[in-house]
Amino acid sequence: MILPLILFILGFTLLPVLQCIFYSFQDRITEEFPTLANYRLIVGNPKFGDALKNTLIVTAIGLTLEMGGGLLIALLLTVSSKIKGLFRTITMIPMGVPTIVSGVIMLYIFSSNGYFNEFLYRIGVIKLPIDWAQGGIRTLLMVAVADMWKVTPLVVILLLSGLESIPANIYEASAMDGASPYQHFFFITLPLIKPFFTIALILRAIDAFRIFELPMVLAGRNTMFLGTYAYSEYFDYNNIHSSGAASTILLILIAIFVFSYVVTVGAKEGDE
Amino acid sequence: MKTAEKTGVVLAEKKVDQKKMRAKVKRVLLFLSIIAIILLILIPIYLLFKISVSAPQDILTQHPPFLIKNFTWKHWLKILSAGQIWNPLWKSVIVASMVALLGIIIAAPGAYVISRLPKKIKYGVLLAIFSTRMFPEVGIALPISVTFIKWGLLDTNLGLVLAHLIRVLPLMAWVLTGTFDTIPRDLEQSAVVDGCNKIQALVKVVLPLSLAGLAAGAILSWLESWNEFTYAIYLCLADTTLPIKTYYYISRGNWFESAAYAVFLTFPVMIITFVLQNYLKSDYLSGALKY
Repeated sequence: MILPLILFILGFTLLPVLQCIFYSFQDRITEEFPTLANYRLIVGNPKFGDALKNTLIVTAIGLTLEMGGGLLIALLLTVSSKIKGLFRTITMIPMGVPTIVSGVIMLYIFSSNGYFNEFLYRIGVIKLPIDWAQGGIRTLLMVAVADMWKVTPLVVILLLSGLESIPANIYEASAMDGASPYQHFFFITLPLIKPFFTIALILRAIDAFRIFELPMVLAGRNTMFLGTYAYSEYFDYNNIHSSGAASTILLILIAIFVFSYVVTVGAKEGDE
Repeated sequence: MKTAEKTGVVLAEKKVDQKKMRAKVKRVLLFLSIIAIILLILIPIYLLFKISVSAPQDILTQHPPFLIKNFTWKHWLKILSAGQIWNPLWKSVIVASMVALLGIIIAAPGAYVISRLPKKIKYGVLLAIFSTRMFPEVGIALPISVTFIKWGLLDTNLGLVLAHLIRVLPLMAWVLTGTFDTIPRDLEQSAVVDGCNKIQALVKVVLPLSLAGLAAGAILSWLESWNEFTYAIYLCLADTTLPIKTYYYISRGNWFESAAYAVFLTFPVMIITFVLQNYLKSDYLSGALKY
Protein backbone atom coordinates (compact mmCIF):
# COMPACT_ATOMS: atom_id res chain seq x y z
CA MET A 1 0.00 0.00 0.00
CA ILE A 2 2.96 2.27 0.48
CA LEU A 3 4.11 1.62 -3.09
CA PRO A 4 2.25 4.49 -4.87
CA LEU A 5 3.71 6.98 -2.40
CA ILE A 6 7.26 5.67 -2.79
CA LEU A 7 6.97 5.43 -6.58
CA PHE A 8 5.68 8.97 -6.83
CA ILE A 9 8.51 10.34 -4.72
CA LEU A 10 11.08 8.37 -6.70
CA GLY A 11 9.67 9.39 -10.08
CA PHE A 12 8.67 12.97 -9.43
CA THR A 13 11.18 14.12 -6.84
CA LEU A 14 14.37 12.08 -6.82
CA LEU A 15 14.50 11.50 -10.57
CA PRO A 16 14.06 15.22 -11.38
CA VAL A 17 16.76 16.15 -8.87
CA LEU A 18 19.14 13.70 -10.54
CA GLN A 19 18.13 15.00 -13.96
CA CYS A 20 18.81 18.53 -12.79
CA ILE A 21 22.30 17.53 -11.64
CA PHE A 22 22.77 15.70 -14.95
CA TYR A 23 21.84 18.82 -16.98
CA SER A 24 24.33 20.84 -15.00
CA PHE A 25 27.19 18.58 -16.11
CA GLN A 26 26.05 18.32 -19.74
CA ASP A 27 27.40 20.56 -22.48
CA ARG A 28 24.81 22.89 -23.90
CA ILE A 29 25.68 22.41 -27.55
CA THR A 30 27.48 19.07 -27.94
CA GLU A 31 25.45 17.39 -25.14
CA GLU A 32 28.74 15.88 -23.99
CA PHE A 33 28.73 14.53 -20.43
CA PRO A 34 30.35 15.21 -18.02
CA THR A 35 31.70 18.71 -18.44
CA LEU A 36 32.24 21.65 -16.14
CA ALA A 37 31.48 24.18 -18.89
CA ASN A 38 28.20 25.30 -17.30
CA TYR A 39 29.79 25.88 -13.92
CA ARG A 40 32.61 27.83 -15.57
CA LEU A 41 30.00 29.86 -17.42
CA ILE A 42 27.98 30.86 -14.37
CA VAL A 43 30.96 31.40 -12.09
CA GLY A 44 32.30 33.79 -14.73
CA ASN A 45 29.01 35.68 -14.66
CA PRO A 46 29.06 38.49 -12.08
CA LYS A 47 25.29 38.17 -11.72
CA PHE A 48 25.77 34.68 -10.32
CA GLY A 49 28.35 35.90 -7.83
CA ASP A 50 25.91 38.54 -6.66
CA ALA A 51 23.08 36.01 -6.44
CA LEU A 52 25.21 33.68 -4.31
CA LYS A 53 26.33 36.53 -2.04
CA ASN A 54 22.78 37.89 -1.72
CA THR A 55 21.41 34.46 -0.84
CA LEU A 56 24.00 33.93 1.88
CA ILE A 57 23.55 37.41 3.36
CA VAL A 58 19.75 37.24 3.36
CA THR A 59 19.87 33.81 4.96
CA ALA A 60 22.24 35.08 7.68
CA ILE A 61 20.22 38.24 8.39
CA GLY A 62 16.89 36.46 8.12
CA LEU A 63 17.83 33.59 10.42
CA THR A 64 19.29 35.92 13.04
CA LEU A 65 16.21 38.15 13.04
CA GLU A 66 13.71 35.30 12.93
CA MET A 67 15.31 33.05 15.53
CA GLY A 68 16.21 35.93 17.86
CA GLY A 69 12.85 37.64 17.47
CA GLY A 70 11.01 34.34 17.64
CA LEU A 71 12.71 33.35 20.89
CA LEU A 72 12.05 36.76 22.42
CA ILE A 73 8.35 36.68 21.50
CA ALA A 74 7.98 33.08 22.69
CA LEU A 75 9.48 34.02 26.07
CA LEU A 76 7.19 37.04 26.36
CA LEU A 77 4.17 34.88 25.64
CA THR A 78 4.88 32.28 28.32
CA VAL A 79 3.68 34.81 30.90
CA SER A 80 -0.04 34.27 30.37
CA SER A 81 -1.95 31.46 28.74
CA LYS A 82 -4.73 33.78 27.60
CA ILE A 83 -2.32 35.89 25.57
CA LYS A 84 -0.77 32.72 24.20
CA GLY A 85 -4.16 31.57 22.90
CA LEU A 86 -4.84 34.94 21.32
CA PHE A 87 -1.41 34.99 19.74
CA ARG A 88 -1.88 31.50 18.32
CA THR A 89 -5.07 32.64 16.62
CA ILE A 90 -3.51 35.80 15.24
CA THR A 91 -0.43 34.04 13.91
CA MET A 92 -2.65 31.92 11.71
CA ILE A 93 -2.94 35.04 9.56
CA PRO A 94 0.64 35.55 8.33
CA MET A 95 1.18 31.79 8.23
CA GLY A 96 -1.88 31.31 6.04
CA VAL A 97 -1.34 34.27 3.75
CA PRO A 98 0.09 33.08 0.43
CA THR A 99 3.74 34.08 0.06
CA ILE A 100 2.95 35.98 -3.11
CA VAL A 101 0.41 38.05 -1.17
CA SER A 102 2.91 38.83 1.56
CA GLY A 103 5.15 39.97 -1.30
CA VAL A 104 2.43 42.30 -2.58
CA ILE A 105 1.93 43.74 0.89
CA MET A 106 5.63 44.31 1.46
CA LEU A 107 5.86 45.94 -1.95
CA TYR A 108 3.38 48.58 -0.77
CA ILE A 109 5.11 49.01 2.56
CA PHE A 110 8.63 49.35 1.20
CA SER A 111 8.03 51.19 -2.08
CA SER A 112 9.54 54.68 -2.15
CA ASN A 113 6.11 56.25 -1.52
CA GLY A 114 5.17 53.38 0.76
CA TYR A 115 4.07 53.19 4.35
CA PHE A 116 7.41 52.46 5.97
CA ASN A 117 8.94 55.59 4.46
CA GLU A 118 5.85 57.53 5.47
CA PHE A 119 6.17 56.22 9.02
CA LEU A 120 9.83 57.20 9.18
CA TYR A 121 8.94 60.61 7.74
CA ARG A 122 6.20 61.24 10.30
CA ILE A 123 8.36 60.37 13.28
CA GLY A 124 11.01 62.62 11.79
CA VAL A 125 13.78 60.14 11.02
CA ILE A 126 13.97 60.90 7.30
CA LYS A 127 13.14 63.89 5.12
CA LEU A 128 13.39 62.31 1.68
CA PRO A 129 12.00 58.87 0.81
CA ILE A 130 14.43 55.95 0.73
CA ASP A 131 14.44 53.71 -2.33
CA TRP A 132 14.57 50.29 -0.67
CA ALA A 133 14.61 48.32 -3.92
CA GLN A 134 17.61 50.04 -5.47
CA GLY A 135 19.96 47.19 -4.52
CA GLY A 136 22.72 46.57 -2.02
CA ILE A 137 22.26 45.88 1.68
CA ARG A 138 19.05 47.94 1.87
CA THR A 139 17.26 45.63 -0.52
CA LEU A 140 18.58 42.58 1.29
CA LEU A 141 17.33 43.98 4.59
CA MET A 142 13.96 44.64 3.01
CA VAL A 143 13.68 41.08 1.72
CA ALA A 144 14.76 39.66 5.09
CA VAL A 145 12.22 41.76 7.00
CA ALA A 146 9.48 40.91 4.50
CA ASP A 147 10.25 37.22 4.98
CA MET A 148 10.36 37.69 8.74
CA TRP A 149 6.77 38.92 8.86
CA LYS A 150 5.46 35.72 7.35
CA VAL A 151 7.61 33.11 9.03
CA THR A 152 8.50 34.32 12.54
CA PRO A 153 5.10 33.13 13.85
CA LEU A 154 6.02 29.57 12.87
CA VAL A 155 9.31 29.89 14.78
CA VAL A 156 7.42 31.30 17.79
CA ILE A 157 4.95 28.42 17.80
CA LEU A 158 7.66 25.78 17.54
CA LEU A 159 9.66 27.42 20.35
CA LEU A 160 6.53 27.86 22.47
CA SER A 161 5.82 24.15 22.33
CA GLY A 162 9.42 23.71 23.48
CA LEU A 163 8.99 26.12 26.37
CA GLU A 164 5.75 24.42 27.39
CA SER A 165 7.52 21.10 27.56
CA ILE A 166 9.75 22.37 30.40
CA PRO A 167 8.21 21.31 33.72
CA ALA A 168 7.64 24.25 36.08
CA ASN A 169 9.18 22.46 39.07
CA ILE A 170 12.64 22.68 37.50
CA TYR A 171 12.42 26.45 37.78
CA GLU A 172 11.08 26.21 41.32
CA ALA A 173 13.92 23.96 42.35
CA SER A 174 16.58 26.19 40.86
CA ALA A 175 14.95 29.31 42.32
CA MET A 176 15.22 27.70 45.73
CA ASP A 177 18.89 27.13 45.10
CA GLY A 178 19.18 30.85 44.39
CA ALA A 179 19.51 30.90 40.60
CA SER A 180 19.13 34.29 38.93
CA PRO A 181 16.78 34.86 35.96
CA TYR A 182 19.90 35.09 33.83
CA GLN A 183 21.04 31.67 35.02
CA HIS A 184 17.53 30.31 34.48
CA PHE A 185 17.64 31.36 30.88
CA PHE A 186 21.11 30.14 29.97
CA PHE A 187 21.30 26.97 32.04
CA ILE A 188 17.71 25.70 31.97
CA THR A 189 15.60 27.26 29.24
CA LEU A 190 18.11 27.27 26.40
CA PRO A 191 19.43 23.71 26.79
CA LEU A 192 15.93 22.30 27.21
CA ILE A 193 14.42 23.93 24.14
CA LYS A 194 17.43 23.09 21.99
CA PRO A 195 15.74 20.31 19.99
CA PHE A 196 12.86 22.65 19.14
CA PHE A 197 15.29 25.41 18.29
CA THR A 198 17.20 23.06 16.00
CA ILE A 199 14.09 21.97 14.13
CA ALA A 200 12.92 25.57 13.70
CA LEU A 201 16.36 26.70 12.58
CA ILE A 202 16.77 23.93 10.01
CA LEU A 203 13.27 24.38 8.58
CA ARG A 204 13.84 28.11 8.34
CA ALA A 205 17.34 27.84 6.87
CA ILE A 206 16.15 25.53 4.09
CA ASP A 207 13.41 27.97 3.11
CA ALA A 208 15.71 30.97 3.42
CA PHE A 209 18.25 29.49 1.00
CA ARG A 210 15.46 28.69 -1.47
CA ILE A 211 13.84 32.13 -1.22
CA PHE A 212 12.02 32.75 -4.50
CA GLU A 213 8.66 34.51 -4.47
CA LEU A 214 9.66 37.50 -2.36
CA PRO A 215 12.68 38.43 -4.52
CA MET A 216 10.56 37.90 -7.64
CA VAL A 217 8.10 40.47 -6.36
CA LEU A 218 10.27 42.83 -4.33
CA ALA A 219 13.73 42.88 -5.83
CA GLY A 220 12.91 42.49 -9.50
CA ARG A 221 15.76 41.72 -11.83
CA ASN A 222 18.25 43.99 -10.10
CA THR A 223 18.90 41.96 -7.01
CA MET A 224 19.09 38.28 -7.85
CA PHE A 225 19.14 35.30 -5.50
CA LEU A 226 20.10 31.73 -6.39
CA GLY A 227 16.47 30.72 -6.93
CA THR A 228 15.60 33.68 -9.12
CA TYR A 229 18.93 33.34 -10.95
CA ALA A 230 18.12 29.73 -11.86
CA TYR A 231 14.68 30.84 -13.02
CA SER A 232 16.10 33.66 -15.10
CA GLU A 233 18.69 31.40 -16.79
CA TYR A 234 15.86 29.12 -17.92
CA PHE A 235 13.20 31.67 -18.85
CA ASP A 236 15.28 34.60 -20.10
CA TYR A 237 18.16 32.69 -21.72
CA ASN A 238 16.49 29.33 -22.30
CA ASN A 239 19.55 27.59 -20.85
CA ILE A 240 18.57 24.49 -18.88
CA HIS A 241 22.20 23.62 -18.24
CA SER A 242 23.26 26.82 -16.45
CA SER A 243 19.92 26.88 -14.63
CA GLY A 244 20.57 23.32 -13.53
CA ALA A 245 24.07 24.26 -12.38
CA ALA A 246 22.72 27.11 -10.24
CA SER A 247 20.11 24.79 -8.72
CA THR A 248 22.74 22.16 -8.02
CA ILE A 249 24.88 24.72 -6.19
CA LEU A 250 21.81 25.71 -4.18
CA LEU A 251 21.17 22.07 -3.32
CA ILE A 252 24.79 21.64 -2.20
CA LEU A 253 24.57 24.77 -0.01
CA ILE A 254 21.45 23.48 1.73
CA ALA A 255 22.93 20.02 2.19
CA ILE A 256 26.16 21.44 3.65
CA PHE A 257 24.23 23.65 6.07
CA VAL A 258 21.88 20.95 7.31
CA PHE A 259 24.62 18.35 7.51
CA SER A 260 27.14 20.52 9.33
CA TYR A 261 24.50 21.81 11.75
CA VAL A 262 23.26 18.34 12.59
CA VAL A 263 26.83 17.07 12.99
CA THR A 264 28.00 19.90 15.27
CA VAL A 265 24.85 19.97 17.39
CA GLY A 266 24.70 16.17 17.47
CA ALA A 267 28.38 15.96 18.46
CA LYS A 268 27.87 18.45 21.30
CA GLU A 269 24.93 16.46 22.56
CA GLY A 270 27.12 13.36 22.58
CA ASP A 271 29.62 15.14 24.83
CA GLU A 272 27.12 16.12 27.44
CA MET B 1 11.62 54.02 70.59
CA LYS B 2 8.18 54.35 69.15
CA THR B 3 9.24 56.70 66.40
CA ALA B 4 12.09 54.40 65.45
CA GLU B 5 9.68 51.50 65.20
CA LYS B 6 7.36 53.62 63.10
CA THR B 7 10.04 54.63 60.63
CA GLY B 8 11.02 51.00 60.38
CA VAL B 9 7.47 50.06 59.48
CA VAL B 10 7.23 52.91 56.99
CA LEU B 11 10.51 51.87 55.38
CA ALA B 12 9.33 48.30 55.07
CA GLU B 13 6.07 49.49 53.56
CA LYS B 14 8.03 51.62 51.11
CA LYS B 15 10.08 48.62 50.08
CA VAL B 16 6.93 46.58 49.47
CA ASP B 17 5.46 49.48 47.53
CA GLN B 18 8.58 49.71 45.41
CA LYS B 19 8.45 46.01 44.67
CA LYS B 20 4.79 46.29 43.74
CA MET B 21 5.53 49.29 41.53
CA ARG B 22 8.31 47.45 39.77
CA ALA B 23 6.07 44.46 39.14
CA LYS B 24 3.38 46.78 37.81
CA VAL B 25 5.79 48.57 35.46
CA LYS B 26 7.05 45.23 34.27
CA ARG B 27 3.52 44.05 33.56
CA VAL B 28 2.65 47.23 31.66
CA LEU B 29 5.82 46.99 29.57
CA LEU B 30 5.08 43.36 28.81
CA PHE B 31 1.53 44.18 27.84
CA LEU B 32 2.67 47.03 25.58
CA SER B 33 5.26 44.90 23.81
CA ILE B 34 2.72 42.15 23.17
CA ILE B 35 0.30 44.74 21.75
CA ALA B 36 3.11 46.04 19.55
CA ILE B 37 3.83 42.55 18.23
CA ILE B 38 0.17 41.92 17.47
CA LEU B 39 -0.07 45.26 15.66
CA LEU B 40 3.02 44.46 13.61
CA ILE B 41 1.32 41.25 12.52
CA LEU B 42 -2.03 42.84 11.70
CA ILE B 43 -1.11 46.21 10.16
CA PRO B 44 0.27 44.79 6.88
CA ILE B 45 -3.00 42.89 6.32
CA TYR B 46 -4.95 46.06 7.00
CA LEU B 47 -2.78 47.99 4.53
CA LEU B 48 -3.44 45.43 1.80
CA PHE B 49 -7.16 45.69 2.31
CA LYS B 50 -6.95 49.46 2.50
CA ILE B 51 -5.19 49.76 -0.83
CA SER B 52 -7.74 47.51 -2.51
CA VAL B 53 -10.57 49.85 -1.41
CA SER B 54 -8.88 53.26 -1.62
CA ALA B 55 -9.28 55.86 -4.34
CA PRO B 56 -6.04 56.44 -6.30
CA GLN B 57 -5.41 59.87 -4.79
CA ASP B 58 -4.94 58.22 -1.38
CA ILE B 59 -2.26 55.86 -2.59
CA LEU B 60 -0.36 57.36 -5.49
CA THR B 61 0.99 60.25 -3.48
CA GLN B 62 4.27 61.08 -1.79
CA HIS B 63 2.67 60.91 1.65
CA PRO B 64 -0.06 58.27 1.76
CA PRO B 65 -2.44 58.52 4.75
CA PHE B 66 -2.65 55.53 7.09
CA LEU B 67 -6.44 55.63 7.36
CA ILE B 68 -8.97 55.00 4.62
CA LYS B 69 -9.95 58.47 3.41
CA ASN B 70 -11.74 57.95 0.12
CA PHE B 71 -13.41 54.57 0.20
CA THR B 72 -14.32 52.88 -3.06
CA TRP B 73 -15.26 49.41 -4.34
CA LYS B 74 -14.12 50.47 -7.80
CA HIS B 75 -11.06 48.20 -8.02
CA TRP B 76 -13.01 45.17 -6.86
CA LEU B 77 -15.83 45.77 -9.31
CA LYS B 78 -13.31 46.37 -12.05
CA ILE B 79 -11.54 43.03 -11.71
CA LEU B 80 -14.84 41.20 -11.30
CA SER B 81 -16.42 42.80 -14.35
CA ALA B 82 -13.29 42.57 -16.48
CA GLY B 83 -13.67 38.79 -16.27
CA GLN B 84 -9.92 38.12 -16.28
CA ILE B 85 -10.19 36.58 -12.85
CA TRP B 86 -12.59 33.71 -13.54
CA ASN B 87 -10.34 31.39 -15.51
CA PRO B 88 -7.41 31.55 -13.04
CA LEU B 89 -9.81 31.29 -10.11
CA TRP B 90 -11.47 28.22 -11.58
CA LYS B 91 -8.12 26.65 -12.41
CA SER B 92 -6.82 27.25 -8.89
CA VAL B 93 -9.94 25.70 -7.36
CA ILE B 94 -9.87 22.62 -9.60
CA VAL B 95 -6.14 22.02 -9.19
CA ALA B 96 -6.24 22.47 -5.42
CA SER B 97 -9.21 20.13 -5.05
CA MET B 98 -7.61 17.47 -7.24
CA VAL B 99 -4.38 17.79 -5.27
CA ALA B 100 -6.26 17.29 -2.00
CA LEU B 101 -8.15 14.27 -3.30
CA LEU B 102 -5.23 12.55 -5.03
CA GLY B 103 -3.00 13.41 -2.10
CA ILE B 104 -5.29 11.53 0.26
CA ILE B 105 -5.61 8.58 -2.10
CA ILE B 106 -1.84 8.22 -2.50
CA ALA B 107 -0.63 9.27 0.95
CA ALA B 108 -3.20 7.70 3.27
CA PRO B 109 -2.40 4.01 2.55
CA GLY B 110 1.31 4.82 2.66
CA ALA B 111 0.97 6.67 5.95
CA TYR B 112 -0.99 3.76 7.40
CA VAL B 113 1.81 1.37 6.54
CA ILE B 114 4.42 3.72 7.95
CA SER B 115 2.53 4.16 11.20
CA ARG B 116 2.45 0.37 11.71
CA LEU B 117 6.22 0.01 11.21
CA PRO B 118 8.52 -0.54 14.21
CA LYS B 119 9.34 2.79 15.84
CA LYS B 120 12.94 3.14 14.73
CA ILE B 121 12.30 2.35 11.08
CA LYS B 122 9.22 4.52 11.11
CA TYR B 123 11.14 7.62 12.12
CA GLY B 124 13.77 6.96 9.47
CA VAL B 125 11.21 6.47 6.70
CA LEU B 126 9.29 9.59 7.69
CA LEU B 127 12.44 11.65 7.85
CA ALA B 128 13.57 10.36 4.45
CA ILE B 129 10.21 11.25 2.91
CA PHE B 130 10.05 14.63 4.57
CA SER B 131 13.61 15.53 3.70
CA THR B 132 12.64 15.57 0.03
CA ARG B 133 11.09 18.90 0.84
CA MET B 134 14.57 20.30 1.32
CA PHE B 135 15.43 20.02 -2.38
CA PRO B 136 15.34 23.40 -4.12
CA GLU B 137 12.09 23.69 -6.04
CA VAL B 138 13.72 25.50 -8.94
CA GLY B 139 15.88 22.40 -9.34
CA ILE B 140 12.89 20.04 -9.45
CA ALA B 141 10.68 22.32 -11.52
CA LEU B 142 13.29 22.61 -14.28
CA PRO B 143 13.45 18.95 -15.37
CA ILE B 144 9.73 18.55 -14.69
CA SER B 145 9.00 21.43 -17.03
CA VAL B 146 11.32 19.98 -19.71
CA THR B 147 9.65 16.56 -19.37
CA PHE B 148 6.14 18.01 -19.38
CA ILE B 149 6.85 19.88 -22.61
CA LYS B 150 7.62 16.49 -24.18
CA TRP B 151 4.53 14.88 -22.65
CA GLY B 152 2.26 17.77 -23.61
CA LEU B 153 1.42 18.44 -19.96
CA LEU B 154 2.49 22.08 -19.95
CA ASP B 155 -0.39 24.44 -19.23
CA THR B 156 -2.68 21.56 -18.25
CA ASN B 157 -4.40 20.97 -14.94
CA LEU B 158 -3.04 17.43 -14.70
CA GLY B 159 0.55 18.64 -15.06
CA LEU B 160 0.18 21.19 -12.31
CA VAL B 161 -1.59 18.69 -10.02
CA LEU B 162 1.33 16.25 -10.41
CA ALA B 163 3.80 19.04 -9.63
CA HIS B 164 1.90 20.20 -6.56
CA LEU B 165 1.77 16.65 -5.27
CA ILE B 166 5.57 16.78 -5.07
CA ARG B 167 5.22 19.37 -2.32
CA VAL B 168 2.06 17.99 -0.77
CA LEU B 169 2.73 14.25 -0.42
CA PRO B 170 5.59 14.44 2.11
CA LEU B 171 3.56 16.85 4.26
CA MET B 172 0.50 14.64 3.95
CA ALA B 173 2.45 11.48 4.84
CA TRP B 174 3.76 13.28 7.92
CA VAL B 175 0.36 14.48 9.13
CA LEU B 176 -1.46 11.24 8.37
CA THR B 177 1.13 9.05 10.04
CA GLY B 178 0.49 11.08 13.17
CA THR B 179 -3.24 10.45 12.74
CA PHE B 180 -2.91 6.70 12.31
CA ASP B 181 -0.55 6.56 15.28
CA THR B 182 -3.40 7.66 17.52
CA ILE B 183 -5.52 4.65 16.52
CA PRO B 184 -4.49 1.69 18.65
CA ARG B 185 -3.60 -1.52 16.88
CA ASP B 186 -5.66 -3.49 19.39
CA LEU B 187 -8.83 -2.04 17.93
CA GLU B 188 -8.14 -3.57 14.53
CA GLN B 189 -7.07 -6.84 16.08
CA SER B 190 -10.21 -7.13 18.13
CA ALA B 191 -12.23 -6.39 14.99
CA VAL B 192 -10.43 -9.26 13.30
CA VAL B 193 -11.12 -11.49 16.31
CA ASP B 194 -14.77 -10.53 16.02
CA GLY B 195 -14.81 -11.87 12.48
CA CYS B 196 -13.82 -8.95 10.22
CA ASN B 197 -11.25 -9.62 7.55
CA LYS B 198 -8.33 -7.18 7.36
CA ILE B 199 -9.89 -4.96 4.71
CA GLN B 200 -13.14 -4.74 6.66
CA ALA B 201 -11.21 -3.85 9.80
CA LEU B 202 -9.55 -1.02 7.89
CA VAL B 203 -12.71 0.32 6.33
CA LYS B 204 -15.02 -0.13 9.29
CA VAL B 205 -12.71 0.64 12.19
CA VAL B 206 -9.64 2.61 11.14
CA LEU B 207 -11.21 4.78 8.45
CA PRO B 208 -14.02 6.31 10.54
CA LEU B 209 -11.59 7.03 13.37
CA SER B 210 -9.12 8.78 11.07
CA LEU B 211 -11.65 10.98 9.28
CA ALA B 212 -10.71 14.12 11.22
CA GLY B 213 -7.03 13.63 10.43
CA LEU B 214 -7.76 12.90 6.77
CA ALA B 215 -9.85 16.07 6.56
CA ALA B 216 -7.07 18.10 8.13
CA GLY B 217 -4.56 16.62 5.70
CA ALA B 218 -6.84 17.34 2.74
CA ILE B 219 -7.33 20.94 3.83
CA LEU B 220 -3.63 21.53 4.38
CA SER B 221 -2.95 20.15 0.90
CA TRP B 222 -5.66 22.27 -0.61
CA LEU B 223 -4.15 25.39 0.92
CA GLU B 224 -0.64 24.39 -0.08
CA SER B 225 -1.73 24.03 -3.70
CA TRP B 226 -3.82 27.20 -3.61
CA ASN B 227 -0.80 29.23 -2.41
CA GLU B 228 1.80 27.53 -4.59
CA PHE B 229 3.86 29.77 -6.86
CA THR B 230 7.14 28.24 -8.04
CA TYR B 231 5.86 25.16 -9.91
CA ALA B 232 2.97 27.18 -11.29
CA ILE B 233 5.24 29.79 -12.80
CA TYR B 234 7.38 27.07 -14.42
CA LEU B 235 4.42 25.08 -15.74
CA CYS B 236 1.78 27.67 -16.67
CA LEU B 237 2.22 29.88 -19.67
CA ALA B 238 -1.18 30.99 -20.98
CA ASP B 239 -3.56 29.21 -18.62
CA THR B 240 -2.45 30.45 -15.21
CA THR B 241 -3.50 30.06 -11.59
CA LEU B 242 -4.54 32.90 -9.33
CA PRO B 243 -1.11 33.49 -7.71
CA ILE B 244 0.52 33.77 -11.14
CA LYS B 245 -2.17 36.16 -12.34
CA THR B 246 -1.52 38.27 -9.25
CA TYR B 247 2.20 38.25 -10.04
CA TYR B 248 1.38 39.37 -13.57
CA TYR B 249 -0.37 42.48 -12.25
CA ILE B 250 2.46 43.15 -9.81
CA SER B 251 5.06 43.02 -12.55
CA ARG B 252 2.97 45.44 -14.59
CA GLY B 253 3.13 47.80 -11.63
CA ASN B 254 -0.62 47.92 -11.17
CA TRP B 255 -1.14 48.49 -7.45
CA PHE B 256 -4.89 48.41 -7.24
CA GLU B 257 -5.53 45.33 -9.33
CA SER B 258 -2.75 43.40 -7.65
CA ALA B 259 -4.13 44.43 -4.24
CA ALA B 260 -7.64 43.33 -5.15
CA TYR B 261 -6.31 40.05 -6.57
CA ALA B 262 -4.24 39.51 -3.46
CA VAL B 263 -7.31 40.03 -1.26
CA PHE B 264 -9.22 37.51 -3.36
CA LEU B 265 -6.38 35.05 -3.06
CA THR B 266 -6.30 35.49 0.72
CA PHE B 267 -10.04 35.23 1.37
CA PRO B 268 -10.50 31.46 1.15
CA VAL B 269 -7.33 30.94 3.17
CA MET B 270 -8.62 33.13 5.98
CA ILE B 271 -12.04 31.51 6.02
CA ILE B 272 -10.63 27.99 6.01
CA THR B 273 -8.00 28.64 8.66
CA PHE B 274 -10.41 30.32 11.04
CA VAL B 275 -13.31 27.93 10.61
CA LEU B 276 -11.14 24.86 10.91
CA GLN B 277 -8.59 26.20 13.35
CA ASN B 278 -8.98 23.25 15.66
CA TYR B 279 -7.97 20.80 12.96
CA LEU B 280 -5.08 22.84 11.69
CA LYS B 281 -3.42 23.28 15.06
CA SER B 282 0.27 23.72 14.92
CA ASP B 283 0.60 20.46 16.83
CA TYR B 284 0.98 18.74 13.50
CA LEU B 285 4.18 20.64 12.95
CA SER B 286 5.73 19.67 16.23
CA GLY B 287 4.24 16.18 16.11
CA ALA B 288 7.54 14.79 14.93
CA LEU B 289 9.15 15.70 18.21
CA LYS B 290 6.96 13.34 20.14
CA TYR B 291 8.64 10.22 18.81
